[in-house]
Amino acid sequence: MNNEVKHSGRLSQMFIYTGKLFRMFVFQNDWKVFPMAAVITAIVCFVISKDMFVTMEGTTKGCFAITCICIWNGMFNSIQSVCRERPIVKREHRSGMHISSYICAHMIYQLVLCLGQAAITTAVMKFSDVRFPKTPLVTPSGITDIFLTLFLITFAADMLALLISSLVRNPTTAMTIVPFLLIFQLVFSGTMFAIGGNAAKLKDFTLSKWGITALCTQGNYNTLPMTTPWKTIKKLENVKIEDKTPIKDIIKNVEKKGSEKAFQLRCGKENYHEEYESVRSNVIDCYIRIILQTLLFAVLAIIALEFIDKDKR
Amino acid sequence: MDIISSLLNILSIIGFWFIFKKFGIKRWHALIPFLRDYRLAQCANEPKDGLIYTILSGIIWILSISYSIVDEKTVLFGTIELKDALALLMLILVIPEFVFSFRICKGLCERFGKKYRWIIGWFLFEGITSLIWGLSSKYVPLEKEKEDTIKETVEESGVNTTGSDKDLTINIRERSAKTLRSKRTLLKDIHMNIQPGHMVLLLGGSGAGKTTFLNAVTGYEMADADIELGNDNVYKDYINIKYDIGFVPQQDLMRGSDTVYNTLYDAAKLRLPKSLSREDRKKRVDEVLDSFGLGMLKNTLVDKLSGGQKKRLSISMEFISNPRLFILDEPDSGLDGVVARELFEKLRDIADSGKIVIVITHTPDRVIDLFDDVIVLAKDANRSGRLTYFGPIKESYEFFGKESMEGFLLAINQKEEGGEGRAEELVKKYNDKMKLAVGGEV
Repeated sequence: MNNEVKHSGRLSQMFIYTGKLFRMFVFQNDWKVFPMAAVITAIVCFVISKDMFVTMEGTTKGCFAITCICIWNGMFNSIQSVCRERPIVKREHRSGMHISSYICAHMIYQLVLCLGQAAITTAVMKFSDVRFPKTPLVTPSGITDIFLTLFLITFAADMLALLISSLVRNPTTAMTIVPFLLIFQLVFSGTMFAIGGNAAKLKDFTLSKWGITALCTQGNYNTLPMTTPWKTIKKLENVKIEDKTPIKDIIKNVEKKGSEKAFQLRCGKENYHEEYESVRSNVIDCYIRIILQTLLFAVLAIIALEFIDKDKR
Repeated sequence: MDIISSLLNILSIIGFWFIFKKFGIKRWHALIPFLRDYRLAQCANEPKDGLIYTILSGIIWILSISYSIVDEKTVLFGTIELKDALALLMLILVIPEFVFSFRICKGLCERFGKKYRWIIGWFLFEGITSLIWGLSSKYVPLEKEKEDTIKETVEESGVNTTGSDKDLTINIRERSAKTLRSKRTLLKDIHMNIQPGHMVLLLGGSGAGKTTFLNAVTGYEMADADIELGNDNVYKDYINIKYDIGFVPQQDLMRGSDTVYNTLYDAAKLRLPKSLSREDRKKRVDEVLDSFGLGMLKNTLVDKLSGGQKKRLSISMEFISNPRLFILDEPDSGLDGVVARELFEKLRDIADSGKIVIVITHTPDRVIDLFDDVIVLAKDANRSGRLTYFGPIKESYEFFGKESMEGFLLAINQKEEGGEGRAEELVKKYNDKMKLAVGGEV
């Protein structure tokens, strides 16, 4: 009887679910992710805005903190999105829903949320007087460069959370896994904690490493001054060596010539990082790696959810 | 120290040997490390925990062996000493191993009807404790493990049914589930033919296989069976035929943050043929909304609906595609008598429009007048779901010798469940009746 009857295909199902997700945006309280992104960024910028893209240390810490915000935002966007409605997905799968359409709909919906969050984060950074790089590398402006990077990090983290949400059976389990993912991403970013040996290879599998690298590259990291050595020397100015204060003499000499900035720049030059070299190809390389991880997470989410029929009562 | 440890191990083996004997498990399994732990967990009625415990024990054993043979200077990832990493891993795994071991010991105490303080004995003096439990005649399991023994039960009817080109014809020979250890028959020898326009009650005690039966009929979980809906074979043409089968689950599985209309419209887009125009689709949605009394609530959020309204929406989501076979799993759960009655009257209307409606309910007597037929499933001696009765409601009272559907359940439920334990007798009676009906010998 039904042999010749065609039902909605993957593409049309994707539009059905995309529409449903956007409709439910207001009632499901998903809108809260936008003010939350603004508040978190404002708190972080209060601390990092002065030195971000101004000094090497400030840029490293700032990029790390901003990347953390993006990963946090992305993960909390979708960590519960699938697992909280898993029985509904199972019912609909039984009625002919394609899992790929369902996940693609989530991808589109989350993409828009992430765009909004990245725009808010960028705007709050701007209002907090973060000095954005003047030389763009990918887009026509430095701000849009940073925006694009923030978006890609947020979206990739979002897809990682979507994968976890597709794998686990309930929101409690999903929320238990989040801290482990966050710690992995933050510790293995390779920025704040030195990692050597074979463990360093793990860095390549984090979003944070590529996000921070892209931001530092865009922030012209290698041309910035390094202030820590100068500050340390200043702290040592009263140290006596054989009843003399040679460090104080050096400091006086440098200040007399007005060469503190040159000293700091020289220190920065000695701290050159090849991966942060401010060239377009470096940024594009980071983008490709982040996008590949994003796609991998999405594909794995589809595969994971295809087994939903195996769920027991 | 090694001698004492070996002696205790030997005591454990002897204890396990006799414990397994008490459960009818192969005694030589006590000689094999890990297997004996798994088997003991089965005695405790905790096979899943036993499997996890055995795997954990195996991994810890491998780690401990590795710990004793690796060089102290071996470094992992350039920074961590391998010995430290192995010790850390063992420490992490020992915690769940302890928890699962505790569960198994607790299960053993329950199986033997002994106090929980014996758990300490199992943990601290396994050898002596197992020996006491194995050798003492005071330590006897309350109920032997059922899965290991295949009991004699009612033989199969061997009667296959055939129907007309509009009937639902069900011939389930067997539906089984395989585990690592064994195969369990969930359903066996179920044959029937349901005509269009009939509303059928599906009755059965807990664990009789009602949901398994429905999943097998809808093709969601395939069995060794022939299921035909009219001229279509449900299993062979599942991709297409699934749109002709509406299955309403027990829970109201809908998104609360969407409106009634949109929920139903999206269901229509998923379930109705692609060729249907937008106008026709909208028309169908409006028709179904009105027919289920949801027209006035179309802009209401699903979360704001009452239990009865949610149930009606859940049913209408399946009804939207106008299925030929309509199956509902406890649609009246959580509804009061009046609302439940209204719902079943609606289902009666659906059946009267030429559909086959099959319903599971735990309170059938309040709406029994609305049903045409009843299917009664019961567990046989091997806990397989068997057909105890299929036929008209009126004749069923005579068959069971009872005056209510609850009486049927009382008759088929096992004695330990508070029933009369007549399942086997009634299965045989029904099989004989079927054989006579097709002209065979009893």
